[in-house]
Amino acid sequence: MSLSYRIAYVFLRNLYSYKRFIVPTFLVSLVEPLFYLVTFGIGMGAYMGAFGGQPYLHFLVPGVLATAAMMSSSFECLYGTYIKIVHEKVYDSLIATPVSADEAVAGDIAWASFRGLVSGSLMMGVALVMGVAPASLWRAALLIVFLVFIGVLFGSLAMIVTSVAPSFDFFSYYTELVVTPMFFFSGVFFPLDNFPGWMKTLAEFLPLTHAVRISRAVFTGQPAPGLGWSLAGLVALAAVVFTVSIRMMRKRLIK
Amino acid sequence: MAILVKASGLTKKYGDLVAVAGIDFEIREGECFGFLGPNGAGKTTTVRMIHCVSPVTSGILTVGGMPSGINNRGLKMITGVIPQEINLDNDLTVAENLVVFARFFDIGRREAKARIAELLRFVELEAKAGSKISDLSTGMKRRLLIARALINRPRLIVADEPTTGLDPQARHLIWQRLRQLKTQGTTLVLTTQYMEEAQQLCDRIVVMYQGRILKEGTPASLVEGEIGREVVEIRVPPEDDAKILGHLAGFDCAHERVGDTLYFYCREGHGLMKKLLELDLPNTLNRPATLEDVFLKLTGRSLHE
Repeated sequence: MSLSYRIAYVFLRNLYSYKRFIVPTFLVSLVEPLFYLVTFGIGMGAYMGAFGGQPYLHFLVPGVLATAAMMSSSFECLYGTYIKIVHEKVYDSLIATPVSADEAVAGDIAWASFRGLVSGSLMMGVALVMGVAPASLWRAALLIVFLVFIGVLFGSLAMIVTSVAPSFDFFSYYTELVVTPMFFFSGVFFPLDNFPGWMKTLAEFLPLTHAVRISRAVFTGQPAPGLGWSLAGLVALAAVVFTVSIRMMRKRLIK
Repeated sequence: MAILVKASGLTKKYGDLVAVAGIDFEIREGECFGFLGPNGAGKTTTVRMIHCVSPVTSGILTVGGMPSGINNRGLKMITGVIPQEINLDNDLTVAENLVVFARFFDIGRREAKARIAELLRFVELEAKAGSKISDLSTGMKRRLLIARALINRPRLIVADEPTTGLDPQARHLIWQRLRQLKTQGTTLVLTTQYMEEAQQLCDRIVVMYQGRILKEGTPASLVEGEIGREVVEIRVPPEDDAKILGHLAGFDCAHERVGDTLYFYCREGHGLMKKLLELDLPNTLNRPATLEDVFLKLTGRSLHE
């Protein structure tokens, strides 16, 4: 792989382009979490009573944080990158400069991760206003780091899809068949305990399940079994998908 | 003059498709070298290999003595690219497009600022620094592409059909700027389908067709060698050919029938015209031979789609 400090230049380019959309994207990033927290947390949560010794909202928030980071980074590397390749030809002009194709892709993944971080942090801010805060300040800081990691993981995964996408429509397969199921079956809204055994096993193969588990443990300070394995698995997966995404995008970009 | 770009047996394949079929050429430092050819001739593929965005399948290609390759940052640092397709960054303003590009070339903030002001003056876009790309005309966009290609003070500029879709005013302005760069010592590699453009800018050209180089030379020598000095066009139905050819039997001119026109390629068309007057034909034209005649003769007159 041909990676260097030039990744930062690609990030900078995205920052420049983001300036013009910053207000609408911030608003969207704020409104969506509000919907989740109000409908599920307050509306539904009122009927649920305590959840493992804590209000439902405390259970929900860390899961929604991880989900928000996943969604933002995925969409950035699906639609955002696709537009930059096919419609705006940003990649074409980039690879004619000393910036390599690998750096262009890594820069976009870094950017997607930043977008995930922004979404997750905004959500944390909203939750804070609603009285749901991480157990301590250093845990909040740790969560921020973890959000960045989630962005790299899911951004790279989405980048693999983009590397083979013939058109926009192709992304529906990924969002409907992978992202949406993860959203429902990864223990964001309820614990997986009541699933039948095979479903529990299946859920263990979804990366979001582990991301939510870690996010929840960091947020609430309540240890969960197998946390180390979850983290190790995610780190290994991230390393693999990042490498594969760069290789596959290189194939798409250099002909 | 020293050789800047050297290709031997240069080949590019996409699967089974041979886009460039083992070509040889040398581009000298400080000259303007043109690749001419119809669509699909392999011009763009060739220049994309020169500026290191497309890997060479086989053969040798060196720029400044260094082998060309997609990760050759050293070569990319000294090359400026004016692409065929307008790929300016639409999310950024005119000035921001240049600011971001300056970073790609490791140019510091202060130096970039001065350079950008100078470049916007050079392409006459000073007043548009803060404009959105969507507010620019095609001519302005093409000029901005030139400014962008110059941000790193390149030794070699690759211009891939730089005036496509422009009106004559805009085209002439771009030609002036490109000539100005050449007088400053920059080497220019140009692809074009416009014969006038090649004649205006190029010191030497190659005519490409189906991935091969058919001819190489200066524009003037190619016209002289392939066509002669003058062309006489007679628009008459093919039935009249025998009569006309019989009448002009004494002249040493090549002739060709294409569609509704009979062409004569001569060293000198005046005598032939005089003789033709005796036949009193309505639609005859005597004009200097151009590169376009060479181009059509070498690459054929059928459509290339």
